[in-house]
Amino acid sequence: MRKLSTVLLAGLVVTAGAGAALAADKTEISVSRFFGACEADYGSVTDVTKANGECGIITALINKFNAESTTTTVKPEIVEWPGYDQLTARIRSGEPPVISVMHEAVISDYSSRGLLEPLDEDFAKAGIDVNDMTDAARQGVTKDGKIYAMPFDTHTWLWHINLNLFKQAGLVDEAGKPILPKSTDELFAQAAQFKEKTGKPYFISTLANETAFYTRTFDTLLYQQNADFFADPNKVNFSSPEAKGALQLLADIYSKDLTTKNQDYAASVSSFAAGDGGVFICGTWLIDTYDQEAKKDGALANGYAVTAFPQIYPGSPRVWADGHSWVLLKQDLSDAQRASAIEFMKFLWDNNYEWSRTGHLPIRKSIIDSDQFKNLPHRADIASLAVNGTALPSAVKRQFSIQDIEGEEVGSAMRGDKSVDQALTDAETRINELLANAK
Amino acid sequence: MTDVTLSPGKATAAVKRPTGASIGPRWSNALFVAPYLAFYLALLVYPLFKGIWMSMLQSDMFDDTSKFAGLANYYRLFNDKVFIGSVWNTIWFVVMTVPAFVAIGLLLALALNRSDRTSATLRAIFFGTSVLSVTIVTIIWKMMYMPGNGAIAGIMRFFGMEPLAFTTTASLALPAIAITTVWWIIGLPMMLFLAALQQIPGELYEAAALDNASRWRSFWSITMPSIRRTLLVVVIYEIVAQFQLFGQALLLTQGGPNNASRPIVLFIYEQGFRSWNLGYAAAASEILFIIMAVAALAQFFASRKRVEE
Amino acid sequence: MAASERIVGRGIGNKVILASVVLVAIVWMLPIAWVLILSFKPNSELMISTASAFHPPYTLKNYTDIFQTSGVFRWLWNSAVVSVGVTVGILILSSLAGYGFARAEFKGRDVIFILVLLGLAVPEQAVIIARHQIFSDLKMHNTYPAIILPGLSSAFGVFLMTQYFKAIPKDIDEAAMLDNASRFKIFWKVLLPLTIPAQATLGIFSFLGAWNDYLWPLISATKPEMFTITVGIASTQTNFAQSEGLGFLMAQAIFAGLPVFVVYLFFQKYIVRAVAGAAIT
Repeated sequence: MRKLSTVLLAGLVVTAGAGAALAADKTEISVSRFFGACEADYGSVTDVTKANGECGIITALINKFNAESTTTTVKPEIVEWPGYDQLTARIRSGEPPVISVMHEAVISDYSSRGLLEPLDEDFAKAGIDVNDMTDAARQGVTKDGKIYAMPFDTHTWLWHINLNLFKQAGLVDEAGKPILPKSTDELFAQAAQFKEKTGKPYFISTLANETAFYTRTFDTLLYQQNADFFADPNKVNFSSPEAKGALQLLADIYSKDLTTKNQDYAASVSSFAAGDGGVFICGTWLIDTYDQEAKKDGALANGYAVTAFPQIYPGSPRVWADGHSWVLLKQDLSDAQRASAIEFMKFLWDNNYEWSRTGHLPIRKSIIDSDQFKNLPHRADIASLAVNGTALPSAVKRQFSIQDIEGEEVGSAMRGDKSVDQALTDAETRINELLANAK
Repeated sequence: MTDVTLSPGKATAAVKRPTGASIGPRWSNALFVAPYLAFYLALLVYPLFKGIWMSMLQSDMFDDTSKFAGLANYYRLFNDKVFIGSVWNTIWFVVMTVPAFVAIGLLLALALNRSDRTSATLRAIFFGTSVLSVTIVTIIWKMMYMPGNGAIAGIMRFFGMEPLAFTTTASLALPAIAITTVWWIIGLPMMLFLAALQQIPGELYEAAALDNASRWRSFWSITMPSIRRTLLVVVIYEIVAQFQLFGQALLLTQGGPNNASRPIVLFIYEQGFRSWNLGYAAAASEILFIIMAVAALAQFFASRKRVEE
Repeated sequence: MAASERIVGRGIGNKVILASVVLVAIVWMLPIAWVLILSFKPNSELMISTASAFHPPYTLKNYTDIFQTSGVFRWLWNSAVVSVGVTVGILILSSLAGYGFARAEFKGRDVIFILVLLGLAVPEQAVIIARHQIFSDLKMHNTYPAIILPGLSSAFGVFLMTQYFKAIPKDIDEAAMLDNASRFKIFWKVLLPLTIPAQATLGIFSFLGAWNDYLWPLISATKPEMFTITVGIASTQTNFAQSEGLGFLMAQAIFAGLPVFVVYLFFQKYIVRAVAGAAIT
């Protein structure tokens, strides 16, 4: 009874866009997601092709699903990013959402405790051909031999480039392509040249209030040197010369003023759009946003390029990667609810191309190979990422916590709060302590 | 019903009254405190002991196989740099904010202890921020501290200075949270001091004025002694309140950079809901409890002594 | 107070003091003014820079967007229910218990009172993990009772009310006893009305405390439709909101802060008096 009234009340609130009258004879499932709230702009948009950006596209996708499905209503529940603290508390309270978005790095924490439903059979029944999944996606959602999630994207770390400033710095070749470093020495030389010619730092980076930049960049630099820091999934190894070199590189970039400093995510995103630096090291999801920005007057006008993380160590072109995916949380679901959940996942699978317009890489081979995808702006430049994107080995537990700790320590050393050696030792101790106590 | 023997006058009165209330002890009187006691026992005492028990378990949020670990969690805590850091951060935060609350609160109260309209408006302004919730306060201050787009950065650049990175410089993060906190809830100490000041009889000041005492002297010899009790109330209240720092740190700095602004409560929250180490989180809770109990007791005895003096 | 003001008031000195306080007050208001200005700016402009804050264009779109879609209304309602629930609950429990501890003797009362006072030293945060487990086991999270009940265990109100009841002269209830009134009647009809100032003080503290509580609702109210305004606003403070919807975020903050602020302005006089009451008891 209480549940019913809560649902009804919530229904009243959501009425604005969703058309609650229809909801009565449909099965309702709750879908918890981040990506932000933008119903104001997209609340009634059902034509997904008209939506842009992560928030816009996922909102329009759900609207479209609700408009088309005769059996199911999806009730979106928008949560904080990344939202796992609250999801955890909510699962513990016994009332999880039916579906939740989840980073692939996190799935094993939940699946290993029996909190997620395996989906192999449902996918087979629904006609979802798991062989069409890209290797990265399939590995990302497979834990202990079972598929635990519908993958949504692969996202990686790359360089957003302000070509207008690059031109000014003389770092553009005859074909109009940016000239990028192929070694650490070249990196410093070009960055110095850039600074001299433009008066601006070469890099824009998100160094404040979050650890994502540090972890993702550091991991990438380790991958480039083929440093296998999780050879033993229960123990991290940062006491290698590779780790020391990579961290020293970051610290040098900082101490030589080759990056903007102290910017949080929002500040760095806007800083790049405002032309405060040449290279913004960030993720795939901003490609579409900046591509739109390049069509307007401003610092990026006709001068936006994107490229895979340049290989500055002679090892491999591998790069940090993760993926968003959708999990079905274990609870007492009726057959109708379970069917509805799979119906929604199938819908996302069918519409995966739309999501890839954000800049994320699609999770279906057939889409990656399609002309439709290849014709999207800049996608040819980053296609290699689908192969080179690398996640932590799936046997490593508590990956989000690990990345947090790693990022904190890398950040301390990069900003000079700690010595490189101290930070690496601390990161190692803290992570191994965490893993020793993790189930 | 009961014998009433307190005083002769009342005894005669009691005889007239067979059903009314009596003065002596009666078990039914416990009904007045019973409802509260039920909540107190169920939601404070029981969780407290459950927490102590949990702190001796090695337990995971979603795994029922928790096993008894004795004091292992505590041993681990005392060797955990992050936890020790969070203890010092919390203490440092209390040391920064409590004197600020006392000094600024008292100064504002002294200046605004008047009955004109301007003072009333000013009082409203300084107290007004207290009614905002912590999330709103942190949004507001993020907009102040943001290095690129923040208001303070803009002002500093206007004066030709290099903007400070408040939330990302290890030495500035906790002070930034302290400033935010003082801005947020300075109203309460100010009001408490105002109330105390208004209790001081005007004659005292009149006498002082006749003696030609300076403002400074009458402050030390009249005002301060008269508000000593309130001063203590404010100090104790703020110590207890600021030890519980959580929301501002979580929302402004996430405890960073380099663990420079992680308070104990944030550590507990992270261990519990991010790392799922319930036993470990519970152990950290008990340490917080012990520190605060000691602080409260110390304050209690100090206040007794001073008031008795 | 007039006396102290008159005597200490030394013309120029006072004016200088007042002027400097006015200056401080202006600085005090700056942060809010800044957020207010930003809330009227288009998101797309703020994505590039906030430097344009002092130039047009300005827009009301961020506010109209709130009315269209945001969860703010629902969250405000939840906060109101929770805060009123906590306040009423605390007033009832603390008044009864305060009277009991101050006036109605029973065996073991004083020991129990000391045990309750010890509860003052137990911070909410120290029991939060265990509490969360308890409410989880009862499957009660994401309900109003779950968000309200823990607040009722605080010993502060009981302490305050006990002190207050103790300060009321005994003759008053003794006189009532002569009239054959029952304990409860004396409490309800005679003494309770005398405690209204203390009730106001306690009520305001409780309401503000509940309205601004963050940690417990954060882990107990985990479904968006049960968020309190504090948790709800935090949930919108994502990276993406700050980069692509900054103006909207500012408008939400202003809008969410408005109701209590207006209530505060309305009842300012009483609130001031009530807070003052706390200092005197």
